[in-house]
Amino acid sequence: MNAINSGASKKRLPLKEKYRHLTRGLHWDTTYQPMNKVFPHAAYEGIKIHDWDKWEDPFRLTMDAYWKFQAEKERKLYAVLDTFAQNNGQTNFTDARYVNTMKLFLTGVSPLEYMAHRGFGHAGRQMAGVGPRVACQMQSLDELRHVQTQIHTMSHLNKYFSGFHEFPHLHSRMWYLSVPKSFFDDAVTAGPFEFMTAIGFSFEYVLTNLLFVPFMSGAAYNGDMATMTFGFSAQSDEARHMTLGLEVIKFMLEQDEQNVPIVQKWIDKWFWRGHRMLGLVAMMMDYMLPKRIMSWKEAWSMYFTEAGGALFADLARYGIRLPKYAEVATAEADHISHQNWAIFYQYTHAAGFHTWLPSDEEMDWLSAKYPDTFDKYYRPRFDLWREMEKEGKRFYNMGLPQLCSTCQIPMGYTEPGDPTSIAFRSSKYNGDTYHFCSDGCKDIFDNEPEKFSQAWLPVHQIFQGNCGGATMEDVLKWYKLDGDNMDYAQSLDKKMWDEWQAGKNRVSG
Amino acid sequence: MSHDLVIEPLGTRIVIKEGQTILDAALRNGVWLPHVCGHGLCSNCKVEVIEGEVDHGASSPFALMDFEREAGKALACCATALSDVVIEADVDVDPDARCLPVRDFTGTVSALRDLTHDIKGVWIEVEGGAMDFQPGQYINLTLPGVDGPRAYSLAQAPADGRVELHIRRVPGGQASSHVHERLRVGDRLTFTGPYGQFFVRKSQAKPLLFIAGGSGLSSPKSMVQDLLAGGCTQPIWLFHGVRTAADAYCGDLFRELSAAHANFAYVPAVSDPEAGDWDGERGFIHEVVERRFDGKFAGLSAYLCGPPPMIEACIQTLMRGRLFERDIFTERFLSKADAQKAKSPLFRKL
Repeated sequence: MNAINSGASKKRLPLKEKYRHLTRGLHWDTTYQPMNKVFPHAAYEGIKIHDWDKWEDPFRLTMDAYWKFQAEKERKLYAVLDTFAQNNGQTNFTDARYVNTMKLFLTGVSPLEYMAHRGFGHAGRQMAGVGPRVACQMQSLDELRHVQTQIHTMSHLNKYFSGFHEFPHLHSRMWYLSVPKSFFDDAVTAGPFEFMTAIGFSFEYVLTNLLFVPFMSGAAYNGDMATMTFGFSAQSDEARHMTLGLEVIKFMLEQDEQNVPIVQKWIDKWFWRGHRMLGLVAMMMDYMLPKRIMSWKEAWSMYFTEAGGALFADLARYGIRLPKYAEVATAEADHISHQNWAIFYQYTHAAGFHTWLPSDEEMDWLSAKYPDTFDKYYRPRFDLWREMEKEGKRFYNMGLPQLCSTCQIPMGYTEPGDPTSIAFRSSKYNGDTYHFCSDGCKDIFDNEPEKFSQAWLPVHQIFQGNCGGATMEDVLKWYKLDGDNMDYAQSLDKKMWDEWQAGKNRVSG
Repeated sequence: MSHDLVIEPLGTRIVIKEGQTILDAALRNGVWLPHVCGHGLCSNCKVEVIEGEVDHGASSPFALMDFEREAGKALACCATALSDVVIEADVDVDPDARCLPVRDFTGTVSALRDLTHDIKGVWIEVEGGAMDFQPGQYINLTLPGVDGPRAYSLAQAPADGRVELHIRRVPGGQASSHVHERLRVGDRLTFTGPYGQFFVRKSQAKPLLFIAGGSGLSSPKSMVQDLLAGGCTQPIWLFHGVRTAADAYCGDLFRELSAAHANFAYVPAVSDPEAGDWDGERGFIHEVVERRFDGKFAGLSAYLCGPPPMIEACIQTLMRGRLFERDIFTERFLSKADAQKAKSPLFRKL
C-alpha cells in the first residue's frame, strides 16, 4: 500500500485549531479598565496563572453542534416520559418505598444542579482566559438542562405521591437539606478556582459515580424507566464535565508550583465535604431501594478506592497526594449508611419522606454485605425498634440534635475505630464554641472560621424562633409538610399503593 | 475492491481495502487516529466524511447519533469505505511526523555481538535497500517458532543501511531466548515497520534530554546519532542508567561523540551499590538526572526509553521539576500486566 501526501488537497484547519479560533476570537484585553479590575476574582485566591493560552480545551463542541446534540437527547427523553405517563409507569415500581429515593433526589440533588448552573456561569465570568470561560458556559447550560429535565420527569410522580410538592421551598428550610445546600453554597461563594476544584474536579470527577450511578441504577432496578432515561441523558453530558474538571486541575498544577499546596488544601476540603454529603446516598443504597444494586461499601471500594486510587497515583506526579482523611472515609464505609438511616428513622416525623425498618430479608442482606459491623452494632438497634413498633410505640425522637458546624449533619457519627462512642470535636472562635462530627469537618472550619461561623444551622434557627414557631407543629407547618412525613407504614403513599395492588389483583383474579 | 482514503488535515493519501475499517487502514499506514474501544461504543474515533460514502458497520446508535450520520460523521473503528473517501480526523498535525507507511521487509542477519551479559546486538541486512524510518521508531520482528511478532526499537544511525537491534534476554521469554541461543549469522528474518510516535520533535527547537535505561538505549542512540550528524546545535544530554559498569554498552561511541561535539554530554550511571570500580555517577538514573539539573527541567524536551518503572520514576522527577506532558516523549512497551493496571484519564499519552 502506498501513502503519498497529496499535494492537491487544500489544507483544512484541524478541528482543534478551528475550535481555538472560535473561542480565542471571543476574547480581548480590556483597555478602558485594567484586566485585573475586570476580573477581580482571578487572582485573590492565590492561584498564579502565567499563560492562559496553555489551557487545553477539554472538548471541542461548538454552540450549533451543542444545540443539535441536546435537542436529540431531549426528543428521546421526552418520548420516554410521555410513554411512562400514558402507561402509568409508576404502578410498575418494585413498591412505593422506592419513591422516597426520588423525593430525596428532587429535594436534595436537583436544586444543586440549578446552583451548578449559576456557579459555572459565575466562575466562567471570573476566568480571565477565554478557553475555560467558554467551557464553563457550556457546562452552565448543561446544568440548567439537567434541573429542568429532572423536574419534568418527577412532576409526574407529584400527581400521585407525597413529598414532591414543595421541593424548592424545602431545599432552603428543611434540616437535612441544609447538608447539600450548605455544601453547594460553600462552593459558589468561594473564588472561581476553588469552585472549579470543588464542583468540577472533586464532585464531577472524583465523586460523581457515587452519586449519579446509585440513583440511576436504582431507578433501573426498581422499574423507573423515566428516571433511568433522564439519567442516561444527563450522563451523556457528564463525560464533558469530567474532562473539564481534570483539565482545570492540570492547568492550575502546571502553571505554577506555588499553586500545588493551594490545590491540595482544596482537594482535602472538598473530598471530605463530598464524602459527608454522600452519606445520604449511602443510606439510600443500603436502606431505601427495595431492590438493591450493590452496597455502599462496594460502591465506595469500586469508585473511590480503585478508580480514585488510580487518579491519585497519576496526580502524585504533580506532588498531589490522596485527600487527607481518605482512609477515615474508607473505614466509615462500614458504618455510615446504618448510622444515617438510624438518624432519619428517629426524625422522620420532621422529614419530607418516609422511613421504615428493614425486613428480615433486608437485614440478612445487610449482614452479608457488612459482616464486620451490621450484626454487631446495628441489627440489635433495629430489633429493639421493631419490638417497640409491635408494642405500638414506634420511636420518634422529640429532641433536636446538635449539628456539626461544617457539614450540618446531626452529631450521630462515631469515633474512628470505636463504633460505640459518638465523635465530638470543637473549636473556639471569637468567644463561641463550634462543634464538629469529625477531624475532617473541624479542619475545614479551622481553616475558614470567618466563613463557617456564619452558617445557617437549622436547629439553631429553630431555637432562635426563625422557623415558624416554638413547637414541632409550627415548624412542620413552616416546612409546608402535609402528610409527607412519618413512618411508611402509616403513609398515604402506602395506602394508595396497596389500593393499586388490590386493583391489579382484582383485574387479574 | 480497494479505494483511496485521504486523511485530513494531514493530507495523507492511503489505500483502504474492501472490508477494512478506516481506523485499521490509517494505523497500518502510519497515521495515528484517536481511538479507544475499537468496536463502535465510545465514539472517541469520530471523524467527518468530507467526500465519498462509508458503511457505518457496528457503530452504536448512542455513540453515533442519527443526526450525526446525516451530517456525515462516522466512527473510524467501524466504518468501511464504499467509494474513494476523504475524511477529516481530530488529529494534530505533528510537523515532525513523517507518516512513513508500514511495509513488510525481509533481511539477513549479518552480525551478532554480545553488548553486555544479557543484551545481544543484532545487525540485519535488508533486502531491497535500506529501510526508511524516523529514529525512535520500532519494528515488529517475526522469529521462527515464536508465536506472534515482537516489537524492537531501531538502534542504527539512519546513515547506516543495516537494521540494528539491542535485544535483552528476558528470563523465560520465547523470542529473546531464540535470539540469544539459536539465532545465527545468515538467518533470514521477516519484519514490518516502521511503527511508533516516538521521534525527535526537531521543530520544537529546545534543548534535548535523553534518558535511557538498559537496552532502552537503542532508540536514543539512533536519535542522538541522527541529531549530531544533522548538525543540531541545541544542547543534548544522554543519561544511560545501568546496573554495573559492564552494562554501560556503547560507552566508547558516546565518549567519542561527546569529544567531537561540544553540545553533547554523555552521562552513564550505575545503580548497583556493589558495582565495584566505577568513577562515574551512581544511583538510579532519575536521581542522577535530578542532581545534575538541580531538579529544574522547565524549557527542555525530554525523551525517555526503558523499563516501565524507570519511565514512571523519570516522569515524576521531570514533572516535579516543572516539565509536563507536552514536552515529555516516550514509547512504552507495555507488558500484559502493565496494560491491565487501572489508569486514570489524567494523562493522554504518558
